Amino acid sequence: MASISTSKAEISYIQSGLLSNPPLRADGRGLHDFRIISLETGVAPLANGSAHLNIGKNPHDGGGGTEVLAAAKLEVENVDLGGGEGVDGGRIVCTVSCSPSAYPHLSAPALDDLQHDMSTLLHQTLAHPSLHPPNLGILAGKKSWLLNLDCVVLADAGNAHDALFMAARAALWDCKVPRTRAVEYKAAAAPGAQAVESGEMDVDHDAEAQQSGFDTRSIARAVDFELPDYWDEGEVLGGRERWPVCVTLNVPPGSKGPLVHYLDAIPQEEAATPLRLLLVFSFPPASSPNLQAIRVLGSGELESDQIRDFVANGEKHARKIWDALNGKLKEEDHRRGQKARDRFARR
Amino acid sequence: MISFASFPVQPEHTRHFPDDEDAMDLDDGDFEAGGSKITWPGETITSSHAYMRGHGTYVEDEQVVASVAGTVERVNKLVTVRAIRTKYNPEVGDLVVGRITEVQPRRWKVDANSRQDAVLMLSSVNLPGGVQRRKLESDELQMRNFFEEGDLLVAEVQAFFSDGAMSLHTRSLKYGKLRNGQLVTIPPLLVRRLKSHFLTLPCGVDLILGLNGYIWVSKHVKESEQEGEEGFDAEAVYSNRNDFIDDSTRTAISRVANIIQVLASHFVPLTDTLLLEAYEWTVENDTDARGLLSEDVGDALVATITARA
Repeated sequence: MASISTSKAEISYIQSGLLSNPPLRADGRGLHDFRIISLETGVAPLANGSAHLNIGKNPHDGGGGTEVLAAAKLEVENVDLGGGEGVDGGRIVCTVSCSPSAYPHLSAPALDDLQHDMSTLLHQTLAHPSLHPPNLGILAGKKSWLLNLDCVVLADAGNAHDALFMAARAALWDCKVPRTRAVEYKAAAAPGAQAVESGEMDVDHDAEAQQSGFDTRSIARAVDFELPDYWDEGEVLGGRERWPVCVTLNVPPGSKGPLVHYLDAIPQEEAATPLRLLLVFSFPPASSPNLQAIRVLGSGELESDQIRDFVANGEKHARKIWDALNGKLKEEDHRRGQKARDRFARR
Repeated sequence: MISFASFPVQPEHTRHFPDDEDAMDLDDGDFEAGGSKITWPGETITSSHAYMRGHGTYVEDEQVVASVAGTVERVNKLVTVRAIRTKYNPEVGDLVVGRITEVQPRRWKVDANSRQDAVLMLSSVNLPGGVQRRKLESDELQMRNFFEEGDLLVAEVQAFFSDGAMSLHTRSLKYGKLRNGQLVTIPPLLVRRLKSHFLTLPCGVDLILGLNGYIWVSKHVKESEQEGEEGFDAEAVYSNRNDFIDDSTRTAISRVANIIQVLASHFVPLTDTLLLEAYEWTVENDTDARGLLSEDVGDALVATITARA
C-alpha cells in the first residue's frame, strides 16, 4: 500500500532486527506493543456520532501519528418510491477518504485507489447483515434511516487500518438514533372501526382520506413520522457492543518456524513487510468471537496451515484492543455525560 | 500491550489579548532587545510607515503583521520573521543527508527536506576505479548500480542552480551511500553548525547530523575499516548490504534515535555533548529505548540535561 520510499539497506536493517532473538524494533517497542492511542468521541457537533483517534502521537508536542476522524450521520430515506435505494430496516454506507497530505508521495489516481480499497473493506465489514443494528427502521415499507459513516485519514504514520476500525467503532458506539413516532391519518367516518395499531401513534382525523369499506387488506396506515422530542438526542444504536475491531498482523519475511508477527507498524516497517494480515474480530457478549473479515495485503505468501495460528494469535491481540477500547469508550461516555452535567451544575 | 489516552483538554477560557494595540508595537529600542521574541501569526510587529515588510510578514491597516510563528529579525529598515517550522535553507558547504527520489539522465534527484529536490550530478560522485576520471557512457548506463530510488546518502552542498535548487557532491570518502542504521527526522532548525557533523558516541554508534534535519544513526565503523582511499572499492561503497550488527549495537541505535526524537519534541538544539550526556543519563537511569517514548521519562531527561548545560 503506502510504500514510502525506503532504501534496501534500511529494509534489511528493519527485517533483521525483527527476526533477531530477542526481536528488536527501531523505536524499541516489543513486537506486540502498540503506540499510545488517543481517542475522543463527540467531536463533530452536527454528526449523530463521531470520534477522533490518533495512534502514536508524540506525547510532548502532540505532533505526528496516524490521525483518523470518523463521523456517523443519519438521514431519512424512502424505502420503495421510484427506485429509491432505501431498504426496509435501514442500511449503512461507509466511505473512507484519505487526505492528500497524509500520502504526499501518492498521485491522485493512486490515492483514489487507496481510499476505494479502504472504503470497500470498511463497508463490506460494517454493513454486513450480522452486525446490522435493529433500530434503523422508521416505518415498515415506507421510511428508514440511512447511516452514513464517513472516515477521513488525516495523517498516516502506519497502521491506518487498525486506526480506521477503532475510530469507526467509536463513532458508531457514540451514534444516537432520534426517537420517532408514527403519524397516521384515519377516516373520521368510521370511528372505532379500525383498531389503533400502536398506543403511541398520533391519530389525526382527516375526512379526505375516505377508504372503501370493501378494502379489507391490512395496510400499514402510518404515513409519516414525527420526532417526539426535538432536543432529545435519541437512543444508541442497537447492538452497538458488536461493532468489530481490526488487528493487523505484520509478518516479516523469512519467518518460517515460530510464527513471528508484530503489531502497529510504523511506515518504514510497513515498507519492509511483504505480508500483512488484517483480521477483523467482533466479540459479542455471551457468545463466541466472530471473525468478520480477513484481508491479506502485500506480495508475501501465506501457507494455509499458518492461517490457523495467525487467527488464533490475532484473536488474542484483538481481544486486548477490544477490552482497552471498551474501557476508553465507557470513560468517554462518562466524561461527556456525568462530568459535563456536574460542570454545568457548578456554574 | 495497548493503552489509550485522551487528547489534551482545551483550556476553557481562551486567552484575551490586550486591547491596547500600542503595547504590541515594537519601537526602535524593542527591536534591538527583542531578538529572542517569538511572534504568533497575525501579531502586529510595527508600523509600515517606519519599516519595510520582509519574508514572513504582510501589511494590514498600515501595520506590519507577522504571518508565521518565528523570531523577528531586522536589517536596517527591513523586518522579517524567520519561521520556526520551516523547510531547510541550504548554504554552500552544508552537510546534508538525502534520499534519492528519481534517476534521470546523468543526474539523480535527491530529497533533502528543502523546497525543491536537490540534484546530484553523475560527474560529482566517486566513480569506480578510484582515480578522478572522466565519466563514461558505461557509467551512465549503470547509474542505478550506484544509487537507486530510495537510497540514502550523505553529501555536501556544492552550488546552486539558477532556480535555487541545490547541487550536491559526494567526492569524498566520508560521503556516499548510507547503511547499517536508521534515519531520524527532526526540524532543520535544531541542527546546529558544528565543527564536525560526523559524531561517534562511545556506545558504538555513529551519527551523521545532516543540516537539513535528517540524522543518520548507524553502527560504528572503525577508521581503519572504512573503505580506503587507495583501493577505492565501488562494490563496498555502493553496497546495499548491511554488516552484521549485534543486539547491543541495535539497542544503542534505537536508544540514540529515541533520545533525538525526545530532544526534538522538546525543541532542544542538538550538540554532540548534549547527546552524550543524554545517553549517559539513560544508562544511569537504566532507561531503555521503549521507556523514552513515555512522556514522564522524556521530560525528566530534558530537564536534567538542559539544567546541566
